[in-house]
Amino acid sequence: MAAAAAAAAEAKTKYDRQLRIWGDQGQAALENASICLLTCGPTGSEALKNLVLGGIGSVTVVDGSKVELSDLGNNFLLDVGCLGQSRAKSICLFLKELNDAVKAKFIEESPVSLIDTNPSFFSQFTVVVATQLPEGSLLKLDGICRKANIVLVAARSYGLTGLVRVNLKEHNVIESKPDHFLDDLRLHNPWAELKEFAKSIDINDKDPVVHKHTPYIVMLDLIRNHMLNFDEENYKEAVESSYKVSVTPGISDEICQIIDDSSAKVNSSSSDFWVLVVALKEFIANEGNGELPLEGTIPDMTSLTEYYVSLQKIYQAKAEFDCLAMEHHVKDILKRIGRDPDSISRTFIKAFCKNARKLRVCRYRSMEEFSSPVLSEVQKYFTHEDYWSVSFTLHLLINLFSFLHWKFLRSYTLTGASLVANSMCPLQM
Amino acid sequence: MVSSAAASEEPVKAAKVLMVGAGGIGCELLKTLALSGFRDIHLIDLDTIEVSNLNRQFLFRQCHVGQSKAHVARDAVLKFRPNINISSYHANVKDAQFNVEFFKQFNVVLNGLDNLDARRHVNRLCLAAEVPLVESGTTGFLGQVTVHVKGKTECYECQPKPVPKSYPVCTITSTPSKFVHCIVWAKDLLFAKLFGNKNQDNDLNTHSSENGTSKSNVFERNTDEDLDQYARRIYDHVFGYNIESALENEETWKNRRRPNPVYIRDALHEEDSRQNGSSHDCSNKQVEPSAMVSLGLRNPQEICNLADNSRVFLEALKLFFEKREKEIGNLIFDKDDQLAVEFVTAAANIRASSFGIPLHSIFEAKGVAGNIVHAVATTNAIIAGLIVIEAIKVLQGDYKKYRMTYCLEHPSRKMLLMPVEPFEPNKSCYVCSETPLLLEVNTKTTKLREVIDKIIKSKLGMNLPLVMIGHTLVFEDGEGLEEDEAANYALNLEKVLAELPAPVINGTKLTVEDFQQELSCSINIKHREEFDEENEPDGMVLSGWSAPVEKQGASNGDNQSVASSSGAHDTDGNLEDISTKPVMKRKLDEILESKENFDASSNAQVVDDDDDDDIVMLDEDPNLSKKKRLQ
Repeated sequence: MAAAAAAAAEAKTKYDRQLRIWGDQGQAALENASICLLTCGPTGSEALKNLVLGGIGSVTVVDGSKVELSDLGNNFLLDVGCLGQSRAKSICLFLKELNDAVKAKFIEESPVSLIDTNPSFFSQFTVVVATQLPEGSLLKLDGICRKANIVLVAARSYGLTGLVRVNLKEHNVIESKPDHFLDDLRLHNPWAELKEFAKSIDINDKDPVVHKHTPYIVMLDLIRNHMLNFDEENYKEAVESSYKVSVTPGISDEICQIIDDSSAKVNSSSSDFWVLVVALKEFIANEGNGELPLEGTIPDMTSLTEYYVSLQKIYQAKAEFDCLAMEHHVKDILKRIGRDPDSISRTFIKAFCKNARKLRVCRYRSMEEFSSPVLSEVQKYFTHEDYWSVSFTLHLLINLFSFLHWKFLRSYTLTGASLVANSMCPLQM
Repeated sequence: MVSSAAASEEPVKAAKVLMVGAGGIGCELLKTLALSGFRDIHLIDLDTIEVSNLNRQFLFRQCHVGQSKAHVARDAVLKFRPNINISSYHANVKDAQFNVEFFKQFNVVLNGLDNLDARRHVNRLCLAAEVPLVESGTTGFLGQVTVHVKGKTECYECQPKPVPKSYPVCTITSTPSKFVHCIVWAKDLLFAKLFGNKNQDNDLNTHSSENGTSKSNVFERNTDEDLDQYARRIYDHVFGYNIESALENEETWKNRRRPNPVYIRDALHEEDSRQNGSSHDCSNKQVEPSAMVSLGLRNPQEICNLADNSRVFLEALKLFFEKREKEIGNLIFDKDDQLAVEFVTAAANIRASSFGIPLHSIFEAKGVAGNIVHAVATTNAIIAGLIVIEAIKVLQGDYKKYRMTYCLEHPSRKMLLMPVEPFEPNKSCYVCSETPLLLEVNTKTTKLREVIDKIIKSKLGMNLPLVMIGHTLVFEDGEGLEEDEAANYALNLEKVLAELPAPVINGTKLTVEDFQQELSCSINIKHREEFDEENEPDGMVLSGWSAPVEKQGASNGDNQSVASSSGAHDTDGNLEDISTKPVMKRKLDEILESKENFDASSNAQVVDDDDDDDIVMLDEDPNLSKKKRLQ
């Protein structure tokens, strides 16, 4: 018990700097992820290093080759002692040293033959990272991964140039973490408790302290008439925040699209995400009164603590109420499609409600559809001087990290030249 | 591309490079240099390894915690590249051994630093030694690499660098309105007062000391005083008595919410003010004393109530005296010091509760107090790769191809890296051009010491300055002075400018030099009688240098400030902000189809590492936007 707590505290310290980027859920997603790396040359090694340092759950390295002299000096995961041994095995030993919380396995087999002989092997992973794979095998692997809805990241580097492609059929994002997002104050459509609270506050109270500390939410519609003097912070805040009242009342187009998506008709094989989308649809039509569940958070504002806390409680209570209603819909739906009504956790539903305005669905084209335009584009980029710099493997990992913490993954096509990943070192091809 | 790799081989093999910093960027950089064929690498870093480094500084392991970063990094890289030369120095780059002569032996200097002070110092030495500098920084997913070559591109100081946000003293001492104000109070005033250097000026007790009674040693523990009693006395003094005294000043509260004094008996009322057995039962196993652990508060993300914060406060204070008494008097707040973070968080929360400010968890508070910059290996690896690319261009003398590169998410173009052509040196930069500065000062009342402290050291960043008036040397710093010289300079320090051996009056020209940095600049003096106390608190105004820019806007005229962050000598991860890069904004505008798009997503950001932290704000300063592109 105590040992486990100590280990957890240790991990918190070790991952402190990244927890500040993607939070506990992001870290949990990372720790629950299993990665398969095909070919552990310099590019693959760089990728693994960054994932393993961050605390990815498990790594499986597939590589059929032995360590040769040419591997030394261009792959920092190998040293003289590894000569003649399995490259996959040597790399795994080092990865354990890098972060012993990570499970590392290796398979001594050529990735090309594994793809041919055992396609079902890949279905156990969260993400497959394929490096230096011939185009034919890559397309085959893409088909396998799309079928199982597994993320495929394909990277290839040639000296100072390289290319990364990220692919999967569908990516559903709950916590999309947009950079700028307005709080949902619901002022365009206030519910009974909020209206009542606003009424209870005497805006004409001339006590300067009270007056200066009336939360702006309460005042937004009463602003200018009541201003006692112009340097009252709360009134300024109200004026500055007044745009929040009118911004996107109701449901955004993006969310409407998701609700109307063809996947939003669930059956027993539907994913939890789509079950929740259907529940959302039902909520909007019923308790929601045309609105999404309330997030329940309010921003900092100049206010008497008592007012702020009351206001906070009102928002929280409404959010909890909405979440509970969602839970009922989820249970009903699960029953309807023949699943265990408790098979979706309350935490998950809560996270979904909190992020209901930020849901995203991304769909990617298959590599086959996509492959020829990419190649011609690559040619273009490579001849254009300003594009020299993109470094694939690493950028790809940015994407991967974001991905794992559910951030909206835009379909970057990363092209350009890479020194960064591995290169500058003697050419590998 | 392949051919350029081949062409770079010779200069790379022959090059002798200096790396400053072996942290987040440094580890990646050393690896990439070694794998790229560099054979003679010198590495300076004064830090030792911390647990929070291990998520990205991949050359270090748990067993290395506490050891020199430079040495461990060297050994780790020699394992996979045994036949190259890496010299490591566990030392401060500002040490005298790293003088201009030392810098001159290198073909290029590569920075992976975490603070403005050291960056400025290295910039000056590179200018003096005429060695090209590749400068870098990262924070989170953002990063930047810039190239500085004397006479060809702007130097690191051609652009103003933001300084840590500072807050008016009275906001901190009397009228906090945000949680960060409470943190600054707890860290820079209370923590410093109790555990730091007793001789340092401290505004903590301004109120109570005015009250006549000799309170000067209220913070000292009496020789026979019970520790628990002492902790409670301090608590009541700072959260109770001091607030009561402040409340007496009615003027302050006319338009403000009045704070509530908090006394320990109220904070812990009813709840049996139990002696949290703490240090007795847990102490055997604990390596590092922790008040939270003693009290069984295990979740760092949980917001504790006033009572728990009060317990942590008392417990942390006691633990400092019980377990770390030797350090008292020399402690400086460090975000990696768990007990210090606990103490500061608890104190800030108690104060926040007194002023009606929402409380925060220790995780959040630590971020605010330590100015922690988030960091991941990936960004550092990208930046390290870019540094090597620029270093190779520098070695090839290919200055038309130099690029400043920003690593950020480019929303409309779907780019992650953005190369920008570098700019010509700023002709009025006091560091890399000879342009004189202008100092307005009251020469009849200002002492030489004030000019040296407030202007020459703090604004111009000189380490060991020398001041000449015409041919008369009036001040020199450093070792190796004759006794009578030193005495003479000490006397001069306390003289007002107009009474120096060579009088400084309106129109006098001062020459200021730093031998170590080989930086010399002229300051023209303009006599002025009156200064505005609020806006010109130094009592003098320096113009002709790029004033630092505060990273957050909001400043309210009151410039008498308490620096908010643990200043220049940060170790890991302190946010220190560098340049406002008007340039970049402008360039970005050209590149971006839609400016809104950009503003919406990357909101003026930043760049530096964890260990290497810098921020580039993109707020445009109109005065600085007239810059010429190279070529």
